Amino acid sequence: MANYRCPCCRKISSDPHDLARHFLGQTDSKHKDWLKTKGLSYAQLITSQAEFGNKGYDTLAEVLKKEAPKVE
Amino acid sequence: MNEYSIIGKPTTNVDGVAKVTGEAVYTFDMTLPNMLYGKLLRSPHPHARIVSIDTSEAEKLPGVKAVITGKDTPGGKYGLWRRFRELADQEILATTKVRFIGDPVAAVAATSEDIAEKALDLINVEYEPLPAVFEPLEAIKDDAPLVHDDFENNINATRHIEWGNVDKAFKNADYVREDRFNLLSQHPAPMEVHSSIASYEKGSGRLTVWSSTQSPYFLQLGLADALKMREGNIRVIKPHVGGAFGGKNSTMPDSVNAAILSMKTGRPVKIVFNREEEFTATEKRTAMHLAIKIGLKKDGTLLAKEVKIITDGGAYTGLGATTLYLAGTWITFPYKTPNYRYDGFRTYTNKMWSSSVRGFGAVSAVYAAETQIDRAARDLGIDPIEIRRRNAMTTGYEAPGQYKVESCGILPCIDKMEQRVKEKWANLDKDEGIGFAAFAYMSGGIFNWIDTPYAFSGAMVKVNIDGTVDLFTQASDIGQGHNTVSVMICAEELGIGIEDIRLHPADTATTLTDLGAWGSRETLMNGNAVKAAAAEVKKKLIEVARMKLGENIVYDLDAKDKRIYIALRPERGFSYYDIVKDAIKGNDGEPLIGIGHYTPHRKGMVSPAYAMGIMGVRAKVDRETGQVEVKEVIVVHDCGQTINPLGARGQVEGSIQMGLGFGLCEDLPTENGLILNPSFVDYKLIRIREMPQIELFDVPTYDPEGPYGAKESAEATTAPTAPALANAIYNAVGVEFDSNVLRLEKVLKALKEKEAKEKGKGRR
Amino acid sequence: MKKELKFVVNGESYDLWVEPNTLLVQVLRDELGLKGTKWSCDSGSCCACAVILDGRVVKSCSIFALQANGKEVLTIEGLANGPELHPIQQAFIDNWAFQCGFCTSGQIMAAKALLDENPKPTREEIQLAMDGHLCRCTGYNMISEAIQDAAKRLQA
Repeated sequence: MANYRCPCCRKISSDPHDLARHFLGQTDSKHKDWLKTKGLSYAQLITSQAEFGNKGYDTLAEVLKKEAPKVE
Repeated sequence: MNEYSIIGKPTTNVDGVAKVTGEAVYTFDMTLPNMLYGKLLRSPHPHARIVSIDTSEAEKLPGVKAVITGKDTPGGKYGLWRRFRELADQEILATTKVRFIGDPVAAVAATSEDIAEKALDLINVEYEPLPAVFEPLEAIKDDAPLVHDDFENNINATRHIEWGNVDKAFKNADYVREDRFNLLSQHPAPMEVHSSIASYEKGSGRLTVWSSTQSPYFLQLGLADALKMREGNIRVIKPHVGGAFGGKNSTMPDSVNAAILSMKTGRPVKIVFNREEEFTATEKRTAMHLAIKIGLKKDGTLLAKEVKIITDGGAYTGLGATTLYLAGTWITFPYKTPNYRYDGFRTYTNKMWSSSVRGFGAVSAVYAAETQIDRAARDLGIDPIEIRRRNAMTTGYEAPGQYKVESCGILPCIDKMEQRVKEKWANLDKDEGIGFAAFAYMSGGIFNWIDTPYAFSGAMVKVNIDGTVDLFTQASDIGQGHNTVSVMICAEELGIGIEDIRLHPADTATTLTDLGAWGSRETLMNGNAVKAAAAEVKKKLIEVARMKLGENIVYDLDAKDKRIYIALRPERGFSYYDIVKDAIKGNDGEPLIGIGHYTPHRKGMVSPAYAMGIMGVRAKVDRETGQVEVKEVIVVHDCGQTINPLGARGQVEGSIQMGLGFGLCEDLPTENGLILNPSFVDYKLIRIREMPQIELFDVPTYDPEGPYGAKESAEATTAPTAPALANAIYNAVGVEFDSNVLRLEKVLKALKEKEAKEKGKGRR
Repeated sequence: MKKELKFVVNGESYDLWVEPNTLLVQVLRDELGLKGTKWSCDSGSCCACAVILDGRVVKSCSIFALQANGKEVLTIEGLANGPELHPIQQAFIDNWAFQCGFCTSGQIMAAKALLDENPKPTREEIQLAMDGHLCRCTGYNMISEAIQDAAKRLQA
């Protein structure tokens, strides 16, 4: 099973959704700016997560699955 | 059942004589020699850039001793969420822009309040009004004006809580429903307005502040951060407080501006808000949009719950970020929720900020959850008591990664309610209904966003040669009766009388840190510290008594009724007073003291213990006017072990008054950021003739974490009042609401709409 | 321009000079140092400032000090008999009829005025007499019980 490292800090998780939840919990500019480089908006992810369902994390998890460095 | 001498027995207030004779001194009453009076100049705009401030005319007014603006302060920002520095967003006085109507921009100290007020009129501020935003759903839009530049889309704080798999569970549910609510704000409205006196000592550079505060420690930290001083050079003393209810946790402009003015003038400065300032510029309950979805089996068993909350934060953070977290937590209590997801975010808006108010998120959240569960019960044909019973938590229930419930009396509470309702409310009049709401609440919080390195509560007991005791605790009695509880616990532990103990409360210089009176923490957390401190002394006394008795080490000794004796042979023992003398004289005169402290450990993320119970409300609706009359209330609660039944009853009844206000009449209509009713004439509180008769039943469990098994009491009961009432209204006349403050116009409108709908159906 | 105010407060005579717009509550608290009477609402709508003026309960925030000229005022400080509490005060203590205590002086003075006029009030009469008093802490029922208890003690 692959482990993903957060592109902006040392957090590691085997679950992209878990990593997405970590990511959106960070409020520093490093994390927020990274989203912009991937065409995502922090505000949009948060506000869509405030609708029933898991849209914000689902979207970010998909992106992290592709973009986050994989580690052993 | 434990046989206590003092715990559990009705005990009158240790501050009673002071309070009924007018001798109790509040910050509001205090004067100091050479004291000046301060006033704040506040922004008339909800959002504006400060172009210039000219204080020269004000400075010339005879009697004015100092005028300050942002440039006279150390600069920088402060706030209670110290662990997340970006959320410490308050300034002493606005420097570049103002963010709500009432945001202070200048302060004056003068020889009288009148002169200080006149001076305010002479300060010339040039503003450049900026577009403002007042509604969270508008504030998050991309083109909305930013209240704070660093916060994209005005998102101040977010919170996510999750366990299990809600999406899968919803798919398997027999019944799924979604409901949306709009929960309104409420003002704590304490009888004593915010008041502070600051006195700066020129020689030592030390500051002393007396303030009407819930937490001398929080105020000490806030002042240290704001003034860029060492904490230890700031002494905060809390005199008697005329109520707080959550609105006096933060470091507010009265204390910090009084401090700066005192530094500047070299004299003590007192700042007291007027009632309009109290309503418009002090912290209030967090309003929120709340969406809640539940999935049940057809027998009513809860499978999944999903909650989404957007809170209206106002212009600064205060404790609003904690409310965001707690609302998403209380909404799961007191039911077993196998699958849960919560997402919430707090928005900045250009209004006075919302923070913690009695209930701390529970009042708004539980209104939604407890009206919804009744709706579900109706659809499924299940009795409202039964559906709650079916889902009730049990001892040892754990919400994965979040909290664990040790003592848990919700089921016996429900049983008792069912029985009492059958006895008391068997016959209802026309247009009368009964409604229920279950509740649970924390006994203090485990979170440490304040970033203290200290134990959450400490206490010291000093025993004098004559057996009198000086008890030092920083805990805050803000009316809830904690001073009495502290003394009761100390007396019980030492086996002496209330009259033997003198309490020295709430002074940061002479007492050990306590985090203050919020989240219902004092009885459990400070109670444990007091008990531990007294126990340390008791141990010393027992050692002395044991030596004198010369008995086998297996014999236990007790301290009770002012004696220290062998538990199995009570006639063999000594007077407490004699042992105290021996303990001091026989030990080289070493001071006889005990120190205790408490911090919760291994108790999850939320609280060390939870009180819970169920409330029933009987109400009658007048179909002609929409007026709702609350006739009677029954409360059955588990608070572990009631320490003082008089105090507990008083608190429960007071919490119901506030809960009814939330349900019926207290709101803050606001237009373009201006609160329209900042006085008791137009802000309606429940008064004596509107209060129902209340019956309170105690279902004692025993929580091992609490002193003598005690948990919190009566912040919990603020939350179920309004939803139980809303449910009663439905059962009386068949109308539902998606908001609180059920004024007669609202009820009448709902009745008329229902009537029209039914007529419409009839015609087809 | 200041005017002369000669009145009796808690049995003691005072001769002061006050501005015409000075409120009675201000003279009591700031001139005479009787801080037991509070004020809270700035709008005459809470009765925390209630005192007894010539036998009638009044809101001292809504009366000019000069209106008390030649009259007798009783405040909370004047109720106890030295160290001995008045039965109403004792009843408030025994019935836990206060919590923060800020509205308590006004409540007790109004209770005294009520019981002086009506020694055996019904619960409804108590509620009617006390309706103007705001209390944020108690929920009022324990206050009514204290007043009923006080009535019994005064009869005894």
